[in-house]
Amino acid sequence: MRNLLRKEFSLVINPYYFLFMLFGVLLLIPHWVFFIAPMYLIFIALPNIIQSAKAQKDTEFTMLLPIRKSDAVSARVLAFAILEVAQIAVIAVFAALNIALYHSPNFFIDTNVAYIGCVFVMYGVFNIVFFPMHYKTGYKLAIPLIVAITAIMLFAGAIEVMVVTVPAVTRVLDGISKTALVSQIPVLLCGIAVFALLTWISIRISIKRFSKVNL
Amino acid sequence: MELLKIDHLSKRYRSFELKDVSFSLEAGYIMGFIGPNGAGKTTTLKCMLGLTAKDGGSVELFGTDFFASERDAKQKIGVSLGGVDFYSKTKIKTITSVVRRFYENWDEELYQSYIKRFDIDESKRPAELSDGMRIKYSLALSMSHHATLLILDEPTSGLDPVARDDLLTLFQELIEPGEVSILFSTHITSDLEKCADFITYIENGKIVASRDKDGFLESYRIVKGTAAQLPGIQSRLISTKENAFGFSGMIKTTDLTEHDTVTVEKPTLDDIMIYHARKESRHA
Repeated sequence: MRNLLRKEFSLVINPYYFLFMLFGVLLLIPHWVFFIAPMYLIFIALPNIIQSAKAQKDTEFTMLLPIRKSDAVSARVLAFAILEVAQIAVIAVFAALNIALYHSPNFFIDTNVAYIGCVFVMYGVFNIVFFPMHYKTGYKLAIPLIVAITAIMLFAGAIEVMVVTVPAVTRVLDGISKTALVSQIPVLLCGIAVFALLTWISIRISIKRFSKVNL
Repeated sequence: MELLKIDHLSKRYRSFELKDVSFSLEAGYIMGFIGPNGAGKTTTLKCMLGLTAKDGGSVELFGTDFFASERDAKQKIGVSLGGVDFYSKTKIKTITSVVRRFYENWDEELYQSYIKRFDIDESKRPAELSDGMRIKYSLALSMSHHATLLILDEPTSGLDPVARDDLLTLFQELIEPGEVSILFSTHITSDLEKCADFITYIENGKIVASRDKDGFLESYRIVKGTAAQLPGIQSRLISTKENAFGFSGMIKTTDLTEHDTVTVEKPTLDDIMIYHARKESRHA
């Protein structure tokens, strides 16, 4: 798997895509819908990487290597999961900067620890929707991408609306005080667990579907 | 020792079916896998390698089920399915540096010897190579980890006669110690007449014959005669070509009798393919 991941990052994912993570700087915008920032990875980097892999006939290349067909799927999803975690790491830095700079709460969700947990869940939702649909063929991109983006938009929209309108949600997810961490750290930990679980399920389903694809 | 054993391999598509494909290959031989375009050669190879999901049958490599030990089995085989047309804008050096890490027995010295023998410039990109050079690079990649079984799809198509001859010589060198076998599909049958020990002939998804080359060639005869001689033999012919002077046709050697007065000749592999194809088109 290490070799396959190395292949993903040396042939498939151009280092240039790591620059997209600097969209995390958008978290410095005062009073904004901060869920949009981590979506740029999905709007721009992911479709370009998959299109480029398709154009370079990456599947044909990978299948000649001494691996199982399922390994190719695991490596691709894991590589994207690594990109997502890296993006969250960059976002976490700018999230902390936002709080340090402005000291004032946001109208929508704050750039706090719970927000980071929710971004983990958002990427998990993307993975569970996008990859199993994509691996029905191993090459179709548009419909899986539209459906997965719609799913994460609905998820992020629901969180933002609830943070503003449902006091119980506001109490758990919003706030930048140190005392708020009591409710927010469990949200972050749950977010990480949900991300890991959804990504793992996504890999299992994608492998099953791709095994039936005739290359 | 049997390196490869394919048993009743089948695959159904809407318009094509691979039916009960069975053949085997012992260590130390070259097997030519021949058949007309669309006969199922590449589909068989892809089903064998798990690239396409099979509907039935089994594939054994080195005595064990291929799909139960896919990764280990793939370490011992070299596969080339045509020229390198992936990562066409990436330097050959970079592609090789990725591939070599996957093989436990990668032999850099051997790889460099193939690069030199095939005259490949590693600083180039596949897009800058001719079709023939891309095939040579693909072969260099598939032969540099001491594979005991090489599975090559059309390895000689696109190569000039000198390169083809060089490659066939290389194949002979590889099998000489008796441990390595080569299964290669091709429609350039003259290559097989030079180097193959066995022939597996597939037609319309079915194996027509899989046996030693000489026996395969001996099992058919080309017959030629006048129009008046045709009715006496026509029912036994696999297919015929008629012309102004008479006819020519192919017959199973066992179907020839002492009473036949027609001219009898030995066929080439091309003849066998052509006459079988004519039979198919007549039945279609």
